[in-house]
Amino acid sequence: MNKVRIVFLHEFLLVLRSRSFLLTLFLIPLAGFAVILVIGGLQKNNQGAPLTSLIAPPSDTKPVGLIDQSGIITTIPESVSNLIMSYPDAESARVALTNQKISGYYVVAADYLTTGQVDLYRTDFNPIGGTDDSYLLSGLLEENLFSADPQLLNLFRQPMKLETHFESTAPQRDPNSALTFFLPYAVTMLFYILILGSSSTMLNSITNEKQNRVMEILLTSITPLQMLTGKIIALGLIGLLQTTFWSVSAFFLYRVSGRTFQLPVEFALPVSLLLWGLLYFVLGYAIYASLMAGVGAIVPNLREGSQATIIVIIPLVIPLFFINTLISAPNGGISMVLSLFPLTAPVAMLTRLAATQVPFYQTALAAVLQAGTAILIVRAVSGLFRAQILLSGQAFKMKLFLRALVGKA
Amino acid sequence: MTTIAVDQISKRFGQQTAVDAVSFTVEPGEIFALLGPNGAGKTTAIRIILDIFKADSGTVSVLGGPMTEAKKDRLGYLPEERGLYQDGQLDRTLVYLATLKGLSGPDASRKVDQMLKRFELYDHRKKKIKELSKGMQQKAQLIVTLIHDPELIIIDEPFSALDPVNTQMVKDLLREERDKGTCIVMCTHQMHQVEELADRLVLINQGKVVLYGGLQEIRRSYSGQEVHVHALTEIPTGLPGAALIEKDNSGYRIHLEPSTTPQSLLRNLVERGVQLEKFEVAIPTLDEIFIQVVTAEGHPQ
Repeated sequence: MNKVRIVFLHEFLLVLRSRSFLLTLFLIPLAGFAVILVIGGLQKNNQGAPLTSLIAPPSDTKPVGLIDQSGIITTIPESVSNLIMSYPDAESARVALTNQKISGYYVVAADYLTTGQVDLYRTDFNPIGGTDDSYLLSGLLEENLFSADPQLLNLFRQPMKLETHFESTAPQRDPNSALTFFLPYAVTMLFYILILGSSSTMLNSITNEKQNRVMEILLTSITPLQMLTGKIIALGLIGLLQTTFWSVSAFFLYRVSGRTFQLPVEFALPVSLLLWGLLYFVLGYAIYASLMAGVGAIVPNLREGSQATIIVIIPLVIPLFFINTLISAPNGGISMVLSLFPLTAPVAMLTRLAATQVPFYQTALAAVLQAGTAILIVRAVSGLFRAQILLSGQAFKMKLFLRALVGKA
Repeated sequence: MTTIAVDQISKRFGQQTAVDAVSFTVEPGEIFALLGPNGAGKTTAIRIILDIFKADSGTVSVLGGPMTEAKKDRLGYLPEERGLYQDGQLDRTLVYLATLKGLSGPDASRKVDQMLKRFELYDHRKKKIKELSKGMQQKAQLIVTLIHDPELIIIDEPFSALDPVNTQMVKDLLREERDKGTCIVMCTHQMHQVEELADRLVLINQGKVVLYGGLQEIRRSYSGQEVHVHALTEIPTGLPGAALIEKDNSGYRIHLEPSTTPQSLLRNLVERGVQLEKFEVAIPTLDEIFIQVVTAEGHPQ
């Protein structure tokens, strides 16, 4: 235990003293602070302008032209009259376009009622933003088509007013709120970055020791298990500290920018989520940091290690592919499997917990399965350090890696 | 108590046999040389002794029994593939590695200061290791090996990158350790260092032991096939028992026929009236024995 403590202290202080770590730790909040300062300055100079307009000012505020050959459009409402300019023929609209008075013009075909044909003429082509104003014409057509019955128009536009009733005492989240999706999404991404970042530090540490040729000296002083345990605890703690520091900095910057951050009561993350999150981080990190250490043990350098890492982190990425399913159907079959399978559980279960209430037996089972897997992998990777491949410096081979993991190499 | 007892160990890597039924013992208070050409299996044998590798067969006893974790603190190892944390500060790195060998923090700091002074590195203690010269890094490695006063020291090429002054210092240090009763196993290609320091040796070639015993005993066993003669008169051609007579500035080198002994050759010289000034049975150098044995056995590819 004493040697684990020595390794832990050494690794912890080594990373804490490293210039790259300190730069990353402080530069990210400083960059955020700089962005807030710049935006704050811009807002002062543009009183009343919305933030989005400062970041992405509207690219084209010109009205759009309209030639109605069908005769359906009889009135243009006041609200859009400065956005849609009516022209009697194509020639006059083309002149307006050439003189840059309009951004383009629509031609509603004479046989519109049978074909629905509408043509748009523009001088430029922008596949993403070029047809932004089509909703104006769409709304205009709807209003004129249903002009005889405004009530029918309203029903056409909103066929039903759905209200969902949950028979639960817990505060219910609004299914239409953006937070319903973004909160679990944010938790998932935070957790993914936290585990991946901390695990990658482990890969760095191991390949660094191999490249510095210290490994053989270490292995005649401590057991691989002691070395791995000390490193896992130290680098995991570093990851947690880094995340805490960034989170506190983000909160502070948010306050500095004059905003307040308060989630609606139904979106407030429970303390239990924090506790489960901490447990899943520890277990997930132990699994992936050990796997990274395994990769570090068998690759000759960090460059090859980074390539081999892709294979190891695939299970961690899988929940990201299914994030929509995890959020929209958190208690469905796929969500349940992903949140119980130990390699995907660290991220998937946290996403589920942020999205809904998960039965206790499932959260506990996932934790037990992860703990068992972590122990097995830590042991297997410790054995791998003894393997001859560690010291031979040969190129990474998947077959060799798998054999080493099961103690056959 | 024998410090190391290696009994019939073998180790294969795929199709290649790295170590083939190797046996030898190392006693306390002796400097033991482990010799062999590149790829002979020396490093593999050392790694088996240190329990980094497991032998496929055979047994190893270290400090009175199988290697245990506790015993690792009683040995110092300077590997062939060596290095230190290049970005680490010298004194911090040494203290860390010393504490891993069982020294308490304060003891490690005190010992590190002592050793740095002894190895004339004290003024460089706050430097990063990568800022030190190759020779200084080599001395730092030796400090790591010796700092915890081990009972058994295993060193691979201890003199590489050292200048003559530092080589002498390390030699003195190794003799001092031996005199204290420490057992030293030394792997090196520098035969003159072995001749100067080693008490006994084992020569491994292609994974097998080809020579094993006391240094002087081995050299004597290879002597008798050549004599050095200084004479005031010419040595006649066709001298019975002489296979080849070479003359150089220092006299004659006479290679004996296999059936001839130095005594019978001396008799033949006297009987033929050669006035002798000096007659010496040539004892081959370890270098010569090494080349002779390895060439006869076949050099590994």
